[in-house]
Amino acid sequence: MDKKESFSRWGIIFAGLGMAVGTGNLWRFPRIVSQYGGGAFMIAWIIFLIIWALPLLTIELAIGKKTRLGVIGSFGKMIGQNFAWMGTFVAFVTAAITFYYTVVTGWCVKYFFATCFQGLIRKEPIQYWEVFTSSWEPIGFHFVAICIGCSIIYFGVVKGIERANKILIPSLLILLLIAVVRSLTLPGAIQGLNFLFSPNLSQLGDPKLWLNALSQAAWSTGAGWGLMLTYGVYSRKNENPLLTSTTLGFGNNFVSLLAAITVIPTVFSFFAGQNMAQERVLDVMRQGNEGLTFKWLPILFSKIPSGSFFLALFFLALCFAAFSSLIAQLEMISRIFIDSGLTRKRAVTIVGIGCFLLGIPSALSIGFFNNQDWVWGLGLMVSGAFFIILVLKVGPRKFREEIISSPEHKIKLGRGFDYLVTFILPIQLIAVLLWWFWDSYSADPGNWMKIFTTASVGTVLFQWAVAITVFIVFNKVITKKIFREKNGN
Amino acid sequence: MEIETLITMILIFGVCIGGFVYSLYRSSKED
Repeated sequence: MDKKESFSRWGIIFAGLGMAVGTGNLWRFPRIVSQYGGGAFMIAWIIFLIIWALPLLTIELAIGKKTRLGVIGSFGKMIGQNFAWMGTFVAFVTAAITFYYTVVTGWCVKYFFATCFQGLIRKEPIQYWEVFTSSWEPIGFHFVAICIGCSIIYFGVVKGIERANKILIPSLLILLLIAVVRSLTLPGAIQGLNFLFSPNLSQLGDPKLWLNALSQAAWSTGAGWGLMLTYGVYSRKNENPLLTSTTLGFGNNFVSLLAAITVIPTVFSFFAGQNMAQERVLDVMRQGNEGLTFKWLPILFSKIPSGSFFLALFFLALCFAAFSSLIAQLEMISRIFIDSGLTRKRAVTIVGIGCFLLGIPSALSIGFFNNQDWVWGLGLMVSGAFFIILVLKVGPRKFREEIISSPEHKIKLGRGFDYLVTFILPIQLIAVLLWWFWDSYSADPGNWMKIFTTASVGTVLFQWAVAITVFIVFNKVITKKIFREKNGN
Repeated sequence: MEIETLITMILIFGVCIGGFVYSLYRSSKED
Protein backbone atom coordinates (compact mmCIF):
# COMPACT_ATOMS: atom_id res chain seq x y z
CA MET A 1 0.00 0.00 0.00
CA ASP A 2 2.68 2.46 1.07
CA LYS A 3 4.99 2.27 -1.88
CA LYS A 4 2.13 2.86 -4.31
CA GLU A 5 1.18 6.06 -2.53
CA SER A 6 2.78 9.25 -3.73
CA PHE A 7 2.42 12.93 -2.94
CA SER A 8 0.82 15.26 -5.46
CA ARG A 9 2.90 18.25 -6.68
CA TRP A 10 1.47 20.55 -4.02
CA GLY A 11 1.28 17.70 -1.57
CA ILE A 12 5.05 17.31 -1.32
CA ILE A 13 5.52 21.08 -1.06
CA PHE A 14 3.05 21.35 1.82
CA ALA A 15 4.35 18.18 3.47
CA GLY A 16 7.95 19.35 3.02
CA LEU A 17 7.14 22.80 4.40
CA GLY A 18 5.33 21.11 7.26
CA MET A 19 8.38 18.95 7.90
CA ALA A 20 10.70 21.97 7.90
CA VAL A 21 8.47 24.48 9.65
CA GLY A 22 8.22 23.47 13.26
CA THR A 23 8.89 24.70 16.73
CA GLY A 24 12.44 25.35 15.52
CA ASN A 25 11.04 28.37 13.71
CA LEU A 26 8.71 29.74 16.34
CA TRP A 27 10.28 28.59 19.58
CA ARG A 28 13.98 28.22 18.87
CA PHE A 29 14.82 30.79 16.20
CA PRO A 30 13.70 33.99 18.02
CA ARG A 31 15.64 32.85 21.10
CA ILE A 32 18.82 31.87 19.24
CA VAL A 33 18.80 34.94 17.00
CA SER A 34 18.55 37.26 19.99
CA GLN A 35 21.17 35.29 21.90
CA TYR A 36 23.71 35.70 19.12
CA GLY A 37 23.26 39.30 18.16
CA GLY A 38 20.36 39.53 15.73
CA GLY A 39 21.58 40.74 12.35
CA ALA A 40 25.03 39.13 12.48
CA PHE A 41 23.47 35.76 13.24
CA MET A 42 21.07 36.18 10.31
CA ILE A 43 23.98 36.51 7.90
CA ALA A 44 25.58 33.27 9.12
CA TRP A 45 22.18 31.56 9.14
CA ILE A 46 21.45 32.48 5.49
CA ILE A 47 24.96 31.34 4.48
CA PHE A 48 24.41 27.95 6.13
CA LEU A 49 21.00 27.66 4.49
CA ILE A 50 22.69 27.90 1.10
CA ILE A 51 25.86 25.90 1.71
CA TRP A 52 24.58 23.35 4.22
CA ALA A 53 20.81 22.92 4.39
CA LEU A 54 19.85 23.16 0.72
CA PRO A 55 22.49 20.69 -0.55
CA LEU A 56 21.59 18.22 2.20
CA LEU A 57 17.85 18.49 1.58
CA THR A 58 18.47 17.94 -2.13
CA ILE A 59 20.69 14.92 -1.42
CA GLU A 60 18.13 13.42 0.95
CA LEU A 61 15.18 13.87 -1.39
CA ALA A 62 17.16 12.41 -4.28
CA ILE A 63 18.16 9.35 -2.21
CA GLY A 64 14.58 8.66 -1.08
CA LYS A 65 13.30 9.08 -4.62
CA LYS A 66 15.96 6.70 -5.95
CA THR A 67 15.84 3.91 -3.35
CA ARG A 68 12.18 4.12 -2.27
CA LEU A 69 13.40 2.94 1.14
CA GLY A 70 13.61 4.57 4.57
CA VAL A 71 16.85 5.93 6.03
CA ILE A 72 18.56 2.67 7.04
CA GLY A 73 17.56 0.83 3.89
CA SER A 74 18.70 3.75 1.75
CA PHE A 75 22.21 3.85 3.21
CA GLY A 76 22.49 0.10 2.77
CA LYS A 77 21.20 0.16 -0.79
CA MET A 78 23.39 3.09 -1.85
CA ILE A 79 26.72 2.19 -0.22
CA GLY A 80 26.36 -1.37 1.06
CA GLN A 81 24.87 -3.07 4.07
CA ASN A 82 28.15 -2.71 6.02
CA PHE A 83 27.58 1.04 6.08
CA ALA A 84 23.90 0.91 6.96
CA TRP A 85 24.86 1.76 10.57
CA MET A 86 25.30 5.35 9.35
CA GLY A 87 21.64 5.37 8.40
CA THR A 88 20.82 3.85 11.77
CA PHE A 89 22.67 6.72 13.47
CA VAL A 90 20.83 9.31 11.36
CA ALA A 91 17.51 7.67 12.22
CA PHE A 92 18.44 7.46 15.89
CA VAL A 93 19.40 11.14 16.12
CA THR A 94 16.01 12.10 14.68
CA ALA A 95 14.24 9.61 16.92
CA ALA A 96 16.10 10.96 19.98
CA ILE A 97 14.96 14.47 19.03
CA THR A 98 11.41 13.15 18.53
CA PHE A 99 11.37 11.75 22.08
CA TYR A 100 11.63 15.25 23.54
CA TYR A 101 9.97 17.02 20.61
CA THR A 102 6.70 15.30 21.52
CA VAL A 103 7.13 16.76 25.01
CA VAL A 104 7.44 20.28 23.53
CA THR A 105 4.41 19.61 21.34
CA GLY A 106 2.54 18.60 24.48
CA TRP A 107 3.56 21.86 26.20
CA CYS A 108 2.19 23.80 23.20
CA VAL A 109 -1.15 21.95 23.38
CA LYS A 110 -1.33 22.54 27.13
CA TYR A 111 -0.57 26.26 26.80
CA PHE A 112 -3.08 26.72 24.01
CA PHE A 113 -5.83 25.21 26.16
CA ALA A 114 -4.61 27.02 29.28
CA THR A 115 -4.82 30.34 27.40
CA CYS A 116 -8.30 29.60 26.04
CA PHE A 117 -9.94 27.96 29.05
CA GLN A 118 -7.88 28.59 32.18
CA GLY A 119 -7.18 32.31 31.81
CA LEU A 120 -3.41 31.77 31.64
CA ILE A 121 -2.89 35.44 30.89
CA ARG A 122 -4.28 36.42 34.30
CA LYS A 123 -2.07 34.00 36.20
CA GLU A 124 1.57 34.34 37.25
CA PRO A 125 3.21 32.65 34.22
CA ILE A 126 6.59 31.86 35.79
CA GLN A 127 4.96 30.20 38.76
CA TYR A 128 2.41 28.53 36.44
CA TRP A 129 5.28 27.06 34.42
CA GLU A 130 7.06 25.77 37.53
CA VAL A 131 3.88 24.11 38.81
CA PHE A 132 3.10 22.62 35.40
CA THR A 133 6.55 21.15 34.81
CA SER A 134 6.86 19.75 38.32
CA SER A 135 3.56 17.89 37.95
CA TRP A 136 2.68 14.76 35.96
CA GLU A 137 0.77 16.85 33.41
CA PRO A 138 3.63 17.06 30.87
CA ILE A 139 3.48 13.26 30.54
CA GLY A 140 -0.25 13.45 29.82
CA PHE A 141 0.19 16.11 27.13
CA HIS A 142 3.21 14.25 25.74
CA PHE A 143 0.86 11.27 25.35
CA VAL A 144 -1.82 13.42 23.68
CA ALA A 145 0.76 14.79 21.20
CA ILE A 146 1.89 11.28 20.25
CA CYS A 147 -1.70 10.05 19.86
CA ILE A 148 -2.58 12.92 17.50
CA GLY A 149 0.65 12.54 15.48
CA CYS A 150 0.29 8.78 15.16
CA SER A 151 -3.39 9.06 14.20
CA ILE A 152 -2.43 11.28 11.26
CA ILE A 153 0.30 9.03 9.87
CA TYR A 154 -1.87 5.96 10.48
CA PHE A 155 -4.04 7.13 7.54
CA GLY A 156 -1.03 7.01 5.22
CA VAL A 157 0.69 9.47 2.96
CA VAL A 158 -2.12 11.03 0.95
CA LYS A 159 -5.08 10.79 3.32
CA GLY A 160 -3.01 11.42 6.43
CA ILE A 161 0.20 13.40 5.93
CA GLU A 162 -0.68 15.36 2.78
CA ARG A 163 -4.19 16.23 3.91
CA ALA A 164 -3.06 17.32 7.38
CA ASN A 165 -0.29 19.54 6.01
CA LYS A 166 -2.62 21.16 3.48
CA ILE A 167 -4.64 22.36 6.47
CA LEU A 168 -1.84 23.03 8.96
CA ILE A 169 0.56 25.07 6.82
CA PRO A 170 -1.85 27.64 5.30
CA SER A 171 -3.52 28.03 8.73
CA LEU A 172 -0.13 28.54 10.35
CA LEU A 173 0.81 31.22 7.82
CA ILE A 174 -2.48 33.09 8.34
CA LEU A 175 -2.06 32.96 12.13
CA LEU A 176 1.50 34.19 11.90
CA LEU A 177 0.64 37.04 9.56
CA ILE A 178 -2.06 38.23 11.98
CA ALA A 179 0.45 38.03 14.84
CA VAL A 180 3.06 39.93 12.79
CA VAL A 181 0.63 42.78 12.13
CA ARG A 182 -0.20 42.99 15.85
CA SER A 183 3.46 42.86 16.87
CA LEU A 184 4.62 45.54 14.43
CA THR A 185 1.86 47.94 15.42
CA LEU A 186 2.87 47.91 19.10
CA PRO A 187 4.58 51.04 20.44
CA GLY A 188 8.37 50.61 20.53
CA ALA A 189 8.28 47.61 18.19
CA ILE A 190 10.71 49.39 15.90
CA GLN A 191 13.49 48.92 18.47
CA GLY A 192 13.02 45.20 18.12
CA LEU A 193 13.40 45.45 14.36
CA ASN A 194 16.51 47.59 14.79
CA PHE A 195 18.01 44.95 17.05
CA LEU A 196 17.00 42.11 14.76
CA PHE A 197 18.26 43.53 11.50
CA SER A 198 21.26 45.70 12.47
CA PRO A 199 24.28 43.56 11.81
CA ASN A 200 27.15 44.03 14.25
CA LEU A 201 29.78 42.44 12.04
CA SER A 202 32.31 42.06 14.89
CA GLN A 203 30.04 39.31 16.27
CA LEU A 204 30.86 37.19 13.22
CA GLY A 205 34.17 36.41 14.99
CA ASP A 206 32.33 34.44 17.68
CA PRO A 207 32.59 30.68 17.01
CA LYS A 208 29.40 30.01 18.95
CA LEU A 209 27.51 32.21 16.53
CA TRP A 210 28.63 30.04 13.60
CA LEU A 211 28.07 26.80 15.46
CA ASN A 212 24.55 27.84 16.42
CA ALA A 213 23.81 29.18 12.95
CA LEU A 214 24.75 25.78 11.54
CA SER A 215 22.81 23.97 14.25
CA GLN A 216 19.79 26.22 13.62
CA ALA A 217 20.00 25.74 9.83
CA ALA A 218 20.03 21.98 10.38
CA TRP A 219 17.45 22.01 13.19
CA SER A 220 14.99 24.27 11.50
CA THR A 221 15.09 23.09 7.90
CA GLY A 222 15.22 19.42 8.78
CA ALA A 223 18.47 19.00 6.80
CA GLY A 224 20.29 15.82 7.78
CA TRP A 225 17.33 14.44 9.74
CA GLY A 226 16.37 11.83 7.15
CA LEU A 227 12.87 13.34 7.00
CA MET A 228 13.17 14.64 3.46
CA LEU A 229 14.61 11.28 2.47
CA THR A 230 11.50 9.61 3.87
CA TYR A 231 9.18 11.99 2.02
CA GLY A 232 11.29 11.35 -1.09
CA VAL A 233 10.15 7.71 -0.92
CA TYR A 234 6.67 8.98 -1.81
CA SER A 235 7.73 11.60 -4.37
CA ARG A 236 6.54 11.60 -7.97
CA LYS A 237 8.79 10.08 -10.64
CA ASN A 238 9.45 13.46 -12.26
CA GLU A 239 10.07 15.32 -8.99
CA ASN A 240 13.05 17.66 -9.24
CA PRO A 241 14.83 17.31 -5.85
CA LEU A 242 16.80 20.50 -6.36
CA LEU A 243 13.79 22.75 -6.91
CA THR A 244 11.60 21.12 -4.28
CA SER A 245 14.33 21.38 -1.64
CA THR A 246 15.08 24.99 -2.52
CA THR A 247 11.40 25.87 -2.20
CA LEU A 248 11.24 24.24 1.22
CA GLY A 249 14.49 25.73 2.49
CA PHE A 250 13.67 29.32 1.61
CA GLY A 251 10.02 28.91 2.63
CA ASN A 252 11.15 27.63 6.00
CA ASN A 253 13.47 30.58 6.58
CA PHE A 254 10.71 32.99 5.60
CA VAL A 255 8.50 31.50 8.33
CA SER A 256 11.39 31.81 10.81
CA LEU A 257 11.67 35.50 9.94
CA LEU A 258 7.92 35.96 10.47
CA ALA A 259 8.25 34.30 13.88
CA ALA A 260 11.18 36.52 14.81
CA ILE A 261 9.35 39.71 13.85
CA THR A 262 6.39 38.52 15.91
CA VAL A 263 8.29 37.71 19.08
CA ILE A 264 11.22 40.13 19.25
CA PRO A 265 9.37 43.44 18.61
CA THR A 266 6.74 42.32 21.17
CA VAL A 267 9.47 41.75 23.75
CA PHE A 268 11.09 45.11 23.02
CA SER A 269 7.74 46.89 23.05
CA PHE A 270 6.91 45.51 26.48
CA PHE A 271 10.23 46.41 28.04
CA ALA A 272 10.30 49.84 26.40
CA GLY A 273 7.10 50.52 28.36
CA GLN A 274 8.91 49.44 31.54
CA ASN A 275 11.90 51.69 30.75
CA MET A 276 14.14 48.69 30.82
CA ALA A 277 17.65 48.73 29.33
CA GLN A 278 18.33 46.73 26.17
CA GLU A 279 20.74 44.45 28.05
CA ARG A 280 17.98 43.41 30.43
CA VAL A 281 15.67 42.79 27.48
CA LEU A 282 18.33 40.58 25.95
CA ASP A 283 18.72 38.68 29.22
CA VAL A 284 15.06 37.72 28.97
CA MET A 285 15.45 36.77 25.33
CA ARG A 286 18.44 34.57 26.17
CA GLN A 287 16.52 32.42 28.61
CA GLY A 288 16.76 28.72 27.90
CA ASN A 289 14.62 26.43 25.84
CA GLU A 290 11.40 27.10 27.63
CA GLY A 291 12.05 30.51 29.18
CA LEU A 292 11.06 32.93 26.45
CA THR A 293 8.04 31.15 25.02
CA PHE A 294 6.39 29.64 28.06
CA LYS A 295 7.36 32.08 30.80
CA TRP A 296 7.74 35.47 29.19
CA LEU A 297 5.33 35.50 26.26
CA PRO A 298 2.26 35.13 28.52
CA ILE A 299 3.52 38.12 30.54
CA LEU A 300 4.18 40.15 27.39
CA PHE A 301 0.82 39.36 25.82
CA SER A 302 -0.98 40.20 29.07
CA LYS A 303 0.15 43.81 28.61
CA ILE A 304 -1.19 44.34 25.09
CA PRO A 305 -4.81 44.93 24.06
CA SER A 306 -6.62 41.65 23.27
CA GLY A 307 -3.51 39.90 24.57
CA SER A 308 -5.34 36.71 25.52
CA PHE A 309 -6.65 36.32 21.98
CA PHE A 310 -3.23 36.90 20.43
CA LEU A 311 -1.50 34.59 22.91
CA ALA A 312 -3.98 31.82 22.06
CA LEU A 313 -3.31 32.56 18.39
CA PHE A 314 0.42 32.25 18.93
CA PHE A 315 0.16 28.95 20.81
CA LEU A 316 -2.23 27.59 18.17
CA ALA A 317 0.33 28.50 15.49
CA LEU A 318 3.00 26.79 17.61
CA CYS A 319 0.80 23.66 17.86
CA PHE A 320 0.29 23.60 14.08
CA ALA A 321 4.01 24.01 13.45
CA ALA A 322 4.88 21.35 16.00
CA PHE A 323 2.44 18.78 14.62
CA SER A 324 3.41 19.39 10.99
CA SER A 325 7.01 18.45 11.89
CA LEU A 326 6.13 15.74 14.38
CA ILE A 327 4.21 13.74 11.78
CA ALA A 328 7.29 13.80 9.51
CA GLN A 329 9.44 12.52 12.38
CA LEU A 330 7.00 9.77 13.30
CA GLU A 331 6.71 8.80 9.64
CA MET A 332 10.51 8.61 9.33
CA ILE A 333 10.71 6.11 12.18
CA SER A 334 7.62 4.18 11.04
CA ARG A 335 9.02 3.89 7.50
CA ILE A 336 11.99 1.93 8.85
CA PHE A 337 9.65 -0.59 10.48
CA ILE A 338 7.54 -0.76 7.31
CA ASP A 339 10.73 -1.49 5.34
CA SER A 340 11.39 -4.41 7.65
CA GLY A 341 8.05 -5.96 6.70
CA LEU A 342 5.60 -4.59 9.26
CA THR A 343 2.21 -3.24 8.26
CA ARG A 344 1.70 0.51 8.67
CA LYS A 345 -0.75 -0.09 11.49
CA ARG A 346 1.71 -2.18 13.48
CA ALA A 347 4.66 0.11 12.71
CA VAL A 348 2.77 3.21 13.85
CA THR A 349 1.66 1.47 17.05
CA ILE A 350 5.23 0.42 17.93
CA VAL A 351 6.57 3.90 17.17
CA GLY A 352 3.85 5.55 19.26
CA ILE A 353 4.50 3.34 22.29
CA GLY A 354 8.29 3.64 21.95
CA CYS A 355 8.24 7.44 21.64
CA PHE A 356 5.91 7.74 24.59
CA LEU A 357 8.10 5.63 26.88
CA LEU A 358 11.41 7.14 25.78
CA GLY A 359 10.04 10.69 26.01
CA ILE A 360 9.03 10.33 29.67
CA PRO A 361 12.46 11.33 31.11
CA SER A 362 12.35 14.60 29.12
CA ALA A 363 8.75 15.19 30.24
CA LEU A 364 9.79 14.82 33.87
CA SER A 365 13.15 16.60 33.91
CA ILE A 366 14.02 19.90 32.23
CA GLY A 367 17.72 19.13 32.87
CA PHE A 368 17.47 15.88 30.94
CA PHE A 369 15.42 17.62 28.25
CA ASN A 370 18.07 20.32 27.79
CA ASN A 371 20.84 17.73 27.70
CA GLN A 372 19.08 15.80 24.93
CA ASP A 373 18.38 18.99 22.97
CA TRP A 374 22.06 19.88 23.22
CA VAL A 375 23.44 16.43 22.34
CA TRP A 376 21.14 15.46 19.47
CA GLY A 377 20.63 18.98 18.11
CA LEU A 378 24.39 18.99 17.51
CA GLY A 379 24.18 15.34 16.43
CA LEU A 380 22.50 16.58 13.26
CA MET A 381 25.94 17.73 12.12
CA VAL A 382 27.16 14.12 12.28
CA SER A 383 24.03 13.01 10.45
CA GLY A 384 24.82 15.60 7.79
CA ALA A 385 28.39 14.30 7.65
CA PHE A 386 27.10 10.77 7.00
CA PHE A 387 25.01 12.01 4.07
CA ILE A 388 28.14 13.71 2.71
CA ILE A 389 30.12 10.46 3.11
CA LEU A 390 27.37 8.63 1.24
CA VAL A 391 27.63 11.04 -1.69
CA LEU A 392 31.43 10.85 -1.66
CA LYS A 393 31.31 7.05 -1.70
CA VAL A 394 28.89 7.03 -4.63
CA GLY A 395 30.91 9.77 -6.33
CA PRO A 396 29.65 13.37 -6.38
CA ARG A 397 29.47 13.55 -10.16
CA LYS A 398 27.66 10.24 -10.52
CA PHE A 399 25.32 11.21 -7.68
CA ARG A 400 24.55 14.56 -9.30
CA GLU A 401 24.06 13.24 -12.83
CA GLU A 402 22.28 9.97 -12.11
CA ILE A 403 20.51 10.37 -8.80
CA ILE A 404 19.62 14.04 -8.41
CA SER A 405 19.02 14.90 -12.07
CA SER A 406 16.80 13.18 -14.59
CA PRO A 407 16.80 13.72 -18.36
CA GLU A 408 13.38 15.40 -18.19
CA HIS A 409 14.55 18.06 -15.69
CA LYS A 410 15.03 21.52 -17.16
CA ILE A 411 17.06 22.82 -14.22
CA LYS A 412 20.03 20.68 -13.25
CA LEU A 413 22.86 21.03 -10.78
CA GLY A 414 26.19 22.08 -12.19
CA ARG A 415 29.72 20.98 -11.33
CA GLY A 416 29.70 23.37 -8.37
CA PHE A 417 27.83 20.65 -6.47
CA ASP A 418 30.83 18.30 -6.79
CA TYR A 419 33.17 20.89 -5.26
CA LEU A 420 30.63 21.78 -2.59
CA VAL A 421 30.28 18.17 -1.43
CA THR A 422 33.95 17.27 -1.83
CA PHE A 423 35.50 20.33 -0.23
CA ILE A 424 33.22 23.00 1.17
CA LEU A 425 30.79 20.86 3.19
CA PRO A 426 33.49 18.72 4.88
CA ILE A 427 35.75 21.73 5.52
CA GLN A 428 32.99 23.83 7.06
CA LEU A 429 31.93 20.93 9.24
CA ILE A 430 35.45 20.21 10.51
CA ALA A 431 36.20 23.92 10.98
CA VAL A 432 33.04 24.55 13.00
CA LEU A 433 33.64 21.47 15.15
CA LEU A 434 37.29 22.33 15.85
CA TRP A 435 36.33 25.92 16.57
CA TRP A 436 33.70 24.70 19.00
CA PHE A 437 36.17 22.38 20.77
CA TRP A 438 38.70 25.19 21.14
CA ASP A 439 36.15 27.69 22.35
CA SER A 440 34.70 25.25 24.90
CA TYR A 441 38.17 24.36 26.17
CA SER A 442 39.16 28.03 26.46
CA ALA A 443 35.95 28.94 28.29
CA ASP A 444 36.07 26.13 30.85
CA PRO A 445 39.25 24.00 30.68
CA GLY A 446 38.31 22.06 33.81
CA ASN A 447 34.82 20.96 32.80
CA TRP A 448 34.59 21.00 29.03
CA MET A 449 35.01 17.22 28.73
CA LYS A 450 32.85 16.25 31.69
CA ILE A 451 30.34 13.63 30.65
CA PHE A 452 27.61 14.05 33.23
CA THR A 453 26.71 17.69 32.73
CA THR A 454 23.82 19.21 30.81
CA ALA A 455 25.82 20.95 28.11
CA SER A 456 29.51 20.12 27.58
CA VAL A 457 31.61 18.76 24.74
CA GLY A 458 32.19 15.64 26.83
CA THR A 459 28.51 14.70 27.16
CA VAL A 460 27.99 15.19 23.43
CA LEU A 461 30.98 13.09 22.36
CA PHE A 462 30.21 10.39 24.91
CA GLN A 463 26.59 9.93 23.78
CA TRP A 464 27.52 10.06 20.09
CA ALA A 465 30.27 7.49 20.66
CA VAL A 466 27.98 5.10 22.56
CA ALA A 467 25.33 5.30 19.83
CA ILE A 468 27.81 4.83 16.98
CA THR A 469 29.56 1.90 18.70
CA VAL A 470 26.26 0.10 19.33
CA PHE A 471 25.11 0.63 15.74
CA ILE A 472 28.40 -0.60 14.25
CA VAL A 473 28.57 -3.67 16.50
CA PHE A 474 24.92 -4.62 15.93
CA ASN A 475 24.74 -3.44 12.31
CA LYS A 476 23.97 -6.86 10.85
CA VAL A 477 21.33 -7.61 13.48
CA ILE A 478 19.61 -4.22 13.14
CA THR A 479 19.54 -4.19 9.36
CA LYS A 480 18.94 -7.91 8.70
CA LYS A 481 15.17 -7.70 8.40
CA ILE A 482 15.21 -4.66 6.13
CA PHE A 483 17.59 -6.27 3.66
CA ARG A 484 15.89 -9.62 3.82
CA GLU A 485 12.64 -7.82 2.97
CA LYS A 486 14.33 -5.79 0.23
CA ASN A 487 15.79 -8.92 -1.34
CA GLY A 488 12.35 -10.52 -1.25
CA ASN A 489 13.29 -13.49 0.94
CA MET B 1 13.96 52.89 11.63
CA GLU B 2 17.63 53.16 10.80
CA ILE B 3 18.48 53.00 7.11
CA GLU B 4 20.97 50.14 7.50
CA THR B 5 18.33 48.15 9.40
CA LEU B 6 15.86 48.70 6.59
CA ILE B 7 18.36 47.64 3.91
CA THR B 8 19.37 44.51 5.85
CA MET B 9 15.73 43.65 6.44
CA ILE B 10 14.85 44.02 2.77
CA LEU B 11 17.88 41.96 1.76
CA ILE B 12 17.21 39.11 4.18
CA PHE B 13 13.48 38.97 3.44
CA GLY B 14 14.24 39.42 -0.26
CA VAL B 15 16.59 36.42 -0.32
CA CYS B 16 14.07 34.18 1.46
CA ILE B 17 10.93 35.25 -0.41
CA GLY B 18 12.79 35.52 -3.72
CA GLY B 19 14.31 32.05 -3.33
CA PHE B 20 10.97 30.58 -2.37
CA VAL B 21 8.95 32.17 -5.18
CA TYR B 22 11.58 31.59 -7.86
CA SER B 23 12.05 27.89 -7.08
CA LEU B 24 8.29 27.41 -6.86
CA TYR B 25 7.90 29.10 -10.25
CA ARG B 26 10.66 26.99 -11.82
CA SER B 27 9.27 23.77 -10.43
CA SER B 28 5.87 24.61 -11.92
CA LYS B 29 7.64 24.93 -15.29
CA GLU B 30 9.05 21.41 -14.87
CA ASP B 31 5.57 19.88 -14.96
